[in-house]
Parts: sequence; C-alpha cells; structure tokens
Amino acid sequence: METRSCSIGGEFVTIRVAGRMEDTLQAFAVRAACFIGGQDVPYSEEFDGQDFGATHLLAYLADEPVGALRVRWFQSFAMPERLAVMQRFRGHKVGQLLLERARALAESRGCNILYTRVSPGHATYFEKQRWRRLDDGQTPGARPTVALVRPVDPAKESAEIADTDAIALSTQYRLDMPALPSPSEDGYFRY
Amino acid sequence: MTPQTPTQSNHPVVTIKLASTSDELLQCYALRAAVFMGEQQCPYWEEFDGNDYSASHLILHVDGEPAASMRVRWFSGFAKLERAIILKRYRSMGLFVPFVEWAKSFAAQKGYPRAYLHGQKRLWEIFERQGFRKVNERPFHFSDHEYGAFAVELDVAEDAPSVLTDPMVLNRPEDQIDRPGILEESMERGASNPHAEWTERRMN
Repeated sequence: METRSCSIGGEFVTIRVAGRMEDTLQAFAVRAACFIGGQDVPYSEEFDGQDFGATHLLAYLADEPVGALRVRWFQSFAMPERLAVMQRFRGHKVGQLLLERARALAESRGCNILYTRVSPGHATYFEKQRWRRLDDGQTPGARPTVALVRPVDPAKESAEIADTDAIALSTQYRLDMPALPSPSEDGYFRY
Repeated sequence: MTPQTPTQSNHPVVTIKLASTSDELLQCYALRAAVFMGEQQCPYWEEFDGNDYSASHLILHVDGEPAASMRVRWFSGFAKLERAIILKRYRSMGLFVPFVEWAKSFAAQKGYPRAYLHGQKRLWEIFERQGFRKVNERPFHFSDHEYGAFAVELDVAEDAPSVLTDPMVLNRPEDQIDRPGILEESMERGASNPHAEWTERRMN
C-alpha cells in the first residue's frame, strides 16, 4: 500500500511499508546516515536488536529513499520511533507523512494509542502533530527523552490514556535476558 | 594472517576481519551509509551500486563497536579496494593505514599481485605514502568527487592458493586460510554420503 501526498521539486513523495529485504536495508541506510553519520549515535545503540520484530516505513522521492520510521507493536499501543529524514530533504513534511502512515497502519490494526519517546528538543515537532506529553518527566542520562502519546483516531482527541502503567517498556537488548520484568499479579508480562 | 589484530591491553581493542555474517555485513552497510550518504550526501543508489553481492567486505571494530569498513572486489590480476571509510569519531586513531595494510595482506594471501583503488584527490598523499602509484595522469570524477586511479604491487605469499593447493585449504574461511576450518573437522565423519541410496552408502 502506498501513500502519496507532498512533493519535492515536482516529484511526489511516496510512503511504503517495507516488505522486502532490500526495503529494510534502505531503511537501515537512511537511519545510519541520519543517526550514526549525522548525530554520532553509536552503531550498537542505533541498531538495538529490535529491528526484526518491527515494521519499517520508508519515504521515497522517485526511487531514492529519503526517510524512514520504525514501528514496534505492543499489546496496548504502537510505538513509532527512529524517525529519520535525510538532511537535504528536510522541511518538506516527509516526517509528518511517515508518522501519518504509521498512524493509519496502527488504525488498520485496531490499535488505539501511539506512544513514542523523543529527545526533549524534538517534542515540539510532535506536539504540533497532536501528540501530547504523557507526563512531565524525562529519562536521565546523556540522551534524555520525554514520553509522548496521541490517540490513533483523531476524532478521539481526548481519548483516555490514563493507564500509564500499561506503557512501561523494557529497555533490555534481548527480551530473554535474566533481567526480564517480573510477571504482574495477573500473570502477564508488561513490556 | 589472522583475522584479529589485538593492540596493547591498555588501548582500545582493534580487530579487523572479513565480514562473514549477515550482521557484520549490515554493520558495513550502516557505516557506509553514515559516512557516504550522511556526511558526503551521496545518493542511495550511487552508494549501493549493485556490486555489493559480488564483493568481499572487511570490518574493523574498536572495542566491539563497528568503526570502519571496506569493500574489495576481485578482478583478474588485481583486487580493487573501495568504499573504505572510518566513522568520524574514530578518525583520530590512526586506523586507516593499518586497515589498508590488512586489506593489502589479505589480497596478497589470496594470490593477488596488485591492489588497485580510486582515490579521492584529498587522500592522494596518504595512498602514495602506502606505496600506491597513479596508473596514469587522467583524473576522473563521479558522485561529486575527483578521483585518480592508483595501484600498488603486492608481495604474493609463496603458499598462495593455486589449483594444486590442498583442496581442504581452499575450503577454509578466506581470512583464516592458515588454520584448519570447520570442513576439516567434518572429515572425521567420513564419506558417509547420507543422501545417496542405501545400497551405495553401504559400499562406503
């Protein structure tokens, strides 16, 4: 399925869900260019072991991959992350198109909530697209992040996202490591 | 030749090897994308030009983190070193010369008498210091950079592979050709020939 909307230099930007190995490699290339090349993120942090349990979206200008977004799926929410647009194609709403495609994909899967973590400096970009902060806090460390959420259905702007306990992520590199979260009282793991 | 080049214990551990797993190959692609697409604005289809699956990749790690990579293509009579990059944060460590030397040794070990490369003009001096000489005075350009063609003669190993080399040596992983490989271990099982008809297997 393809989404067409904005254009750059008369050429349409196309959003595609990665379906082939080559598409995935293109998503990795865009992320490597933006995060490892552009922001000096270490390889092992960028490619964190979560790429093969996720869906990758790609933005193309003609045949050229110019943007990418990874979406991870959880029981109670979908998590778009690793939003990357090649530097010379920024300012044309490519990121917005990718996020909208992720929202539509989540909607088609019956998902109600989108959740993401971004660096505080990028929060405004998301807030302009109807995301709101889940809480006032931010994670400590060299790369602090803030939590943002938005309802999948735009008509439900005030959707209840009160159950913040449902949005507790494991940051383990591998989910089978000994430090797995303990099952809660009802016996289910919460990621 | 060994695939790993450990440095002194109080320094970062630098290792160089032939990329031999999908993961290592992805690391090479990521480094190339970071430097060529991210820093040098190279379009995706020029960087990933269709030659990746007929080439070998070399990967250099610093303390386990992918730091540099190089692609090598094999022509008749020479090895072409290309797509050589070091990630920005590792550029002050003096990795480039030992990495190119490792690649030259690797090509020589495989029997190639010459290594060849297209050097960006700003790097010509460095290549000349490593023994590379221009093959002619014709510069050329592609992907927004000016290049010159350089070549260096290699000291081919005396025991470089030939058609008369022990066949089990040729079966070894190419950057570990000086030590027994997994297929030599398999020889202990004999020619049990499990896919043959039962009667044929009994003959063995």
